Amino acid sequence: MTDITKEALSPPRSFLSQDAIQLFYRLLAVLLICAVLAVLNDSFLSLGNILNVLRQASLTFFIASGLTLVVLTAGLDLSVGANVALSACVAGTVIHTTGSPVLGILTGLACGGIVGLLNGIMVTALRIPSFIATYGMLWVLNGLTYWYMAGETLHGFPAGFRQIGSGYLFGLPIPVYLLLVFLGIGTLFAQRTIWGQEIYAIGANPVAARLSGIPVTRRLLLVYAVSGTMAGLASIIFLSRLNSAEADIGESLTLPAIAAVLIGGTSLFGGVGTVFGTFIGALILTLVLNGMNLLSVSANWQPLVTGIIVILAVWLDMKTRRRAQ
Amino acid sequence: MKQRLGYLALPLVLAAAFATQARADGETIAVFTKNQTNPFFQTVRVGADNMAKTLNAKTLQYIPTKPDSIPEQLSQIEDVVVKKPSAIVFTPVDYKAMVPGVEKINDAKIPVVNITDRSAGGKFLSFVGADDYSLGLETARFLLKTLGGKGNIVIIEGVKGSLTNVDRVRGFNDALKENPGAKLLASQPGNYQRLQALQVMENLMQSNAQIDGVLAANDAMAVGAIEALDGANRKAQVIGINGTKEAIDAIKSGKLLASGDYNGFYQGCLGTMMAIRSLRNEPVISEIVLKPTVITRDNYQPFDQPLEQRTCPTFEEAGKLGAK
Repeated sequence: MTDITKEALSPPRSFLSQDAIQLFYRLLAVLLICAVLAVLNDSFLSLGNILNVLRQASLTFFIASGLTLVVLTAGLDLSVGANVALSACVAGTVIHTTGSPVLGILTGLACGGIVGLLNGIMVTALRIPSFIATYGMLWVLNGLTYWYMAGETLHGFPAGFRQIGSGYLFGLPIPVYLLLVFLGIGTLFAQRTIWGQEIYAIGANPVAARLSGIPVTRRLLLVYAVSGTMAGLASIIFLSRLNSAEADIGESLTLPAIAAVLIGGTSLFGGVGTVFGTFIGALILTLVLNGMNLLSVSANWQPLVTGIIVILAVWLDMKTRRRAQ
Repeated sequence: MKQRLGYLALPLVLAAAFATQARADGETIAVFTKNQTNPFFQTVRVGADNMAKTLNAKTLQYIPTKPDSIPEQLSQIEDVVVKKPSAIVFTPVDYKAMVPGVEKINDAKIPVVNITDRSAGGKFLSFVGADDYSLGLETARFLLKTLGGKGNIVIIEGVKGSLTNVDRVRGFNDALKENPGAKLLASQPGNYQRLQALQVMENLMQSNAQIDGVLAANDAMAVGAIEALDGANRKAQVIGINGTKEAIDAIKSGKLLASGDYNGFYQGCLGTMMAIRSLRNEPVISEIVLKPTVITRDNYQPFDQPLEQRTCPTFEEAGKLGAK
């Protein structure tokens, strides 16, 4: 509560200038990591590896970009990974039975979006805290997916469909184009549209937002639906890149997505953060794993190093933020 | 209170009546597996169902909703002790942590057979399992033989610290030691996940211009590594472990060199068989450690059948499959 009061009493500030400082620090961190890795391994700075890292970061980014909007409203969506798993299994089945990738893609997006909308309804109409509502949803989705798949996997999809996740266009992997497109859309939407600004306002102070005439319920529904739809998109990329779907992919996707949002500087208390920051967060996580693989760091140390980087990034963020204020 | 106790006693009395009346068949076997996500346990469950049907018994499947959840399996044991099935076929989600659970089953005097992962404690009628170490050793030997005993090799490990991974990777490494001409480039974690294995492989290909062989600790990771190789237009011989349907398809199409079969179907069959035989006062085999089968292009046919159409071995065959 104290945070909201403090926010409400502080003078209105520009989101961009505050975030610009934060982004500067974050880009500095990326450059630092890159410099260290480039010194330690010759192959790190090759074009192939840079594209490789971007493509790997894209999947986490797609999930995390929608999640960023939810976190901006001071909410959390813990069901994103489970949503990717269910959407991938449903979309995969549709492609297998109808033979139509387009129909499969639309179903995957719709499945993700509907799950997101249900999350939004639980948060707004039923007033369940988002943390609990989406945690419940995580179990519901896991249950549905496990039951539906019954320990089987779906595999083997048409070559054309596989292009989305594995193909290249003018030497760049297709997921990297999608990454740039959604990075652009996300940034413009959050920073340059009224809806985007309203989302920041809801996160900063929901009471003030409501009193100033922002349709809070509708904006929250939108935000959860977008988060779900992005999970649906991620499921399509996953399916197309890995050529298969199985029930247990969700768990390994949720926490990295949340970590990317937080490392990217979006505050769990809402109202502060950017989609671009989330992209940097996804990039940092991917770079760390990529670097450890290139350097053949022992399997024992990898989770430990990742954990330390996450803690360090968030701590540095809070420190620099305090100084900036 | 008295009345409630009466209700509690009623099913027990009924069960006792049925038990004495129909001793020859109709037993209920509770089958405990670790999760609903790993196809391996699906093969175990189908094997158990198949055997139970053959012997005119029923199965009740207990599967944690959260994969490999220790508290959930413990509470399922508490439920089962109240329900009193005729016997239990048990895979612990954690071989050490579930020992108190096994002791609860022992205290309730329900006969129990241990399958797949050997429990660190408790009393069992019989153990039926396979050997992860020899599975790793034999699959890796096959890969190295195919490569002529030399080449650049990478290992993609499962979940660090898990019993299956420790033993499989030890098997891989021992096979590498037998082949001094082969060079281990890296041993990196893929956590049994397809996506993580794909990304690890993509990363390793960046710094290693020549990779000849990939030893993956399960099939999902092997298939992930193959996707990475295909994406980069590179070729390497890849092996996996578990003999999943997907792996068999990949072996048929020539993308996967081989997969080690953990014999989940047989483990389900034989575990259930031993449980039912002991209930019928027939002799049981106290320990069966199934020999690993390396599934290749030459012998995949029997594994290519849908699970439902496979047949369980007979008791006589069981004796030859690796009894001690």
